[in-house]
Amino acid sequence: MANPLLQVKNLKTYFRTEAGVAKAVDGVDFEVMPGEVLGIVGESGSGKSVTSLSIMQLIPNPPGEIVDGNIIFEGTDLLAAYRQKDYDVIRKIRGNKISMIFQEPMTSLNPVFTIGDQVAESLVHHKGLNPKEARDHAVEMLELVGIPSARERINEYPHQFSGGMRQRVMIAMALSCDPSLLIADEPTTALDVTIQAQILELMLEVKAKTSNAAILLITHDMAVIAETCHRVVVMYCGRIQEIADVKTIFHSPQHPYTQGLLASLPKPGQKVRRLSTIEGIVPSLFNLPKGCSFCTRCNQKLDKCETVPPEMVETSPGHFVRCHLAKPMKSA
Amino acid sequence: MTERKAEKTNLLEVNDLKMYFPVYGGVFRSHVADVKAVDGVSFKLREGETLGLVGESGCGKSTTGKCLINLNKPTDGHILFHTQKDAAAGYKITDIKPKPVDIAKLNNDQMRPYRSEIQMIFQDPYASLNPRMTVCDIIMEPLSIHMPELSKSQMLEKVVWLMEKVGLSAEQATRYPHEFSGGQRQRIGIARALATNPRLVIADEPVSALDVSIQAQVINLMQDLQEEFGLTYIFIAHDLAVVEHISDRIAVMYLGNVVELADAATLFKTPLHPYTRALMSAIPHPDPNVKKDKRIVLQGDVPSPMKKPSGCGFRTRCPIAQNDCSDSQPPMIEVAPDHFVACPYYAIQDKN
Repeated sequence: MANPLLQVKNLKTYFRTEAGVAKAVDGVDFEVMPGEVLGIVGESGSGKSVTSLSIMQLIPNPPGEIVDGNIIFEGTDLLAAYRQKDYDVIRKIRGNKISMIFQEPMTSLNPVFTIGDQVAESLVHHKGLNPKEARDHAVEMLELVGIPSARERINEYPHQFSGGMRQRVMIAMALSCDPSLLIADEPTTALDVTIQAQILELMLEVKAKTSNAAILLITHDMAVIAETCHRVVVMYCGRIQEIADVKTIFHSPQHPYTQGLLASLPKPGQKVRRLSTIEGIVPSLFNLPKGCSFCTRCNQKLDKCETVPPEMVETSPGHFVRCHLAKPMKSA
Repeated sequence: MTERKAEKTNLLEVNDLKMYFPVYGGVFRSHVADVKAVDGVSFKLREGETLGLVGESGCGKSTTGKCLINLNKPTDGHILFHTQKDAAAGYKITDIKPKPVDIAKLNNDQMRPYRSEIQMIFQDPYASLNPRMTVCDIIMEPLSIHMPELSKSQMLEKVVWLMEKVGLSAEQATRYPHEFSGGQRQRIGIARALATNPRLVIADEPVSALDVSIQAQVINLMQDLQEEFGLTYIFIAHDLAVVEHISDRIAVMYLGNVVELADAATLFKTPLHPYTRALMSAIPHPDPNVKKDKRIVLQGDVPSPMKKPSGCGFRTRCPIAQNDCSDSQPPMIEVAPDHFVACPYYAIQDKN
């Protein structure tokens, strides 16, 4: 098996607030293999965005802090340097080897710089191109993401672009330095369905052109996951609850949370009388249950769930579940 | 919901509704253009049904919703509401069925008596509740306006009853909105909307701001309440899977016009308008094994409602656009009973 491109080990990111310590990410382990599309799915507050921001070391400190863990990217531990306050390591990688597409195309572009300046910036910074070369390359990138008459539009400002077009610019920026890992944090959530279809298609198309590039796709939309990802990580309350390949997640989910989540989706073309629901609400991060964080809403709860936090078990090769009900696979 | 019978009476008839927002520019702030947010929308709403209004951002679905409760004063058109309140009898509910009232022509004072019959649930449960009022005050406010004859204790009783109906407990009544989660806040919004015993509830993206697992709870609640109180819903949303689930009939909007109107099952099984088809094919399906038909990816963006293309608004992105599509706004054709399409060329696409 190939070496993983990115390994996240026991990542813990806490936020210290007046109300107490919010354990937004509390011991997350996963790997991204070269060339794969890995989806992280979860509800608001599940820690999926904080995970991605931690990888990029974009957590505002204070109040946030990466308190523990290792993030190993192509053999280098990014967090070792972070702990020694050596920020040059990540600065060379961020926007270059690992780049990110943010959720809000409206707010993540700088309104006072032209599109061309913003796409060219990382090229000048990371690739050492001179401004003219960088501009030419920026035009190529914008053409690649399907912006018509890119050479003229490069001098325009973000407000002159529509939402879908801005998201294309974001993608062009993120891809300009040929990253080996692209983190897309809710890239289509702010967009309409037909534009969402365009953008997802574009991301996969561009990925197909650059071999071995991996995508970490963060979303709350199970349907987007089903259409784009190879493997899926399900998060709830700062912890990973289930990891499996996409077909397994959708057809034989083992964690009660994943099961509930899938059952509560209205499915196109299959009309049911009532949707099934997960009862109750997500517990506050300041006041998580002692045992399994899902035990307050679980419909298959055991007595020990309230007190004993379940461990991750591998139920079949590549299928990990954090639940007391899960049976570990028999070792051969 | 099960099939509806055609003999259901109409509750609302919308005819050629137009809502233009003027744009002023130049040195003298003269009227230079109009944003044609809603540009000739017509539909009939039957009593007890749920009509879904779908479309992409900027298509005018929310503006239509706001016109229906007179929050926007329509530029033109008629909204006939079959009220139970007789203006001649002092807006009391009498045995005689009063004439329908044209909401589009009413001013604020004239509208107020009818507001108790039409209520709205808003999209953002964080912004639509006053943070300085307790839940009890929020739900009681419409009661004190529309049912001043009730005593304070009767009102309190009703507030508690409503809170229990929407799945909140009575002891939460003295709390403030910030103490609730998004889903609970939306329940408060629903309780407030139901306080005046409305017949029509306009829900503008009521679940868009909620997480998936909470979304299902609120949708189920809305369906339960509809059954219990015989409510009629207009359900505005951009999430097609949700709309399909809750709606009896669906109207698809594009650039201020309804382009297709049919019952939910038909619309999803045999969409006819080229825009509806593209929209349907763009919905991601929550099952990796489902074989999808080839996705129709539309080119370009929605044109600005300030500079609408002549004729059919969709022709600039339409895969089957013909030369004469720019001539005039295509009328709604009833291609099958209760299935309306605003495209004369819908049959062409099957040949390609």
